[in-house]
Amino acid sequence: MNQSDTWFDGVARNLVRHAARKAPLALSERLGEEWLADLRARSGGWSQLRFALGCCWATTVIANEFGAPVGAAAAAVNKTTLVRHAESAPGFSRRGTVIVVIVGLHVLVVCVLATAIEAPNVFKVSPARIDVSFLPKPAAPVPPTPADPTPAKVWHDPPPPQGPTIPTEQTVTPADQIPEVQPARSAGSALPKSVNRVLGGPGAGFPNPDDFYPEGAIRLREKGLAMVNVCVDGSGQLIARPTIEQSSGSARLDGAALKLARAGSGHYRPTTEDGRAVSACYPLRVRFQFRD
Amino acid sequence: MSFQTLKVLEAFLENPSEQLSGADVHKRSGIASGTLYPILLRLESAGWFVSRWEAVEPESVGRPRRRLYRLTRTGLAHASGVFASFGRGVPA
Repeated sequence: MNQSDTWFDGVARNLVRHAARKAPLALSERLGEEWLADLRARSGGWSQLRFALGCCWATTVIANEFGAPVGAAAAAVNKTTLVRHAESAPGFSRRGTVIVVIVGLHVLVVCVLATAIEAPNVFKVSPARIDVSFLPKPAAPVPPTPADPTPAKVWHDPPPPQGPTIPTEQTVTPADQIPEVQPARSAGSALPKSVNRVLGGPGAGFPNPDDFYPEGAIRLREKGLAMVNVCVDGSGQLIARPTIEQSSGSARLDGAALKLARAGSGHYRPTTEDGRAVSACYPLRVRFQFRD
Repeated sequence: MSFQTLKVLEAFLENPSEQLSGADVHKRSGIASGTLYPILLRLESAGWFVSRWEAVEPESVGRPRRRLYRLTRTGLAHASGVFASFGRGVPA
């Protein structure tokens, strides 16, 4: 017997003794002697090791069956349910319990994985049910009366960081309404010339705003109105970083509105003055809402 | 009755009067120890087998004594009936 066989033999013997000790008390001594004798009949280290490991398993089965009254096992044989011994005892056997637990864990893991995979779809709201829209600009102020030659202050454009000079006080009107402001002129006064100014807005090729409704906000059914200040040059390009002028109340929606405003650079319809495209800042009102 | 139990019974039915140790049954049936010994104990508890220690002196034979199993009359009748129900030949 070489060194490895000696090692295997020692390990196998120890395993067999260990298994026998775990057997029911009435059978422990007998099984230990019987298994050690049968172990001697095995040739080869691996064969002995397999035998010893089998004895460990046998102990588990035997302890489960013969820990109970022997009559139960006999009844099981008489019913020719030799392997399905669990059926003769109330409840689950240890082996059956282990199997049930293993199967249960597998089912649990599968459910968790399936839920994780399906989660985006569970909470995802169909684009048909969300709406991100640009609201019309606030109603135009009442045109100044002839007695008040100063145009109404509606929007204060911040000083542009660059580009052409933009008046700081303008009379603005909704883009779809282009009334002419006709301030009264009094004799001898040197009032500035009235300018027909039309504020810009989202133009052709502007990104689809529905694509910017944040998934997290959809799941939480957040909605609101964000007002973003955008500064656009005559070619429709942003000339300054958009800023939140009025929060929607949700950081997600505000962020989405800013993202949308940035993505639209190059696709803004420029502000015009007397039909001439100029650089200007104006509010972009973005409403996030659900259609249902 | 499980397939493994039938294999064990078949090993004994080759010569019903023969006494076999667990190692002998393993050689004949190929059943692994983890399955074999619970079956032997189960059949013994049911009265199909009886077992006794081998009547040898370990010192004289140079090995531990083995546990030997033998079919009882009841076990033989039941086992023969089981195999007969399968239409297989059973020793008289």
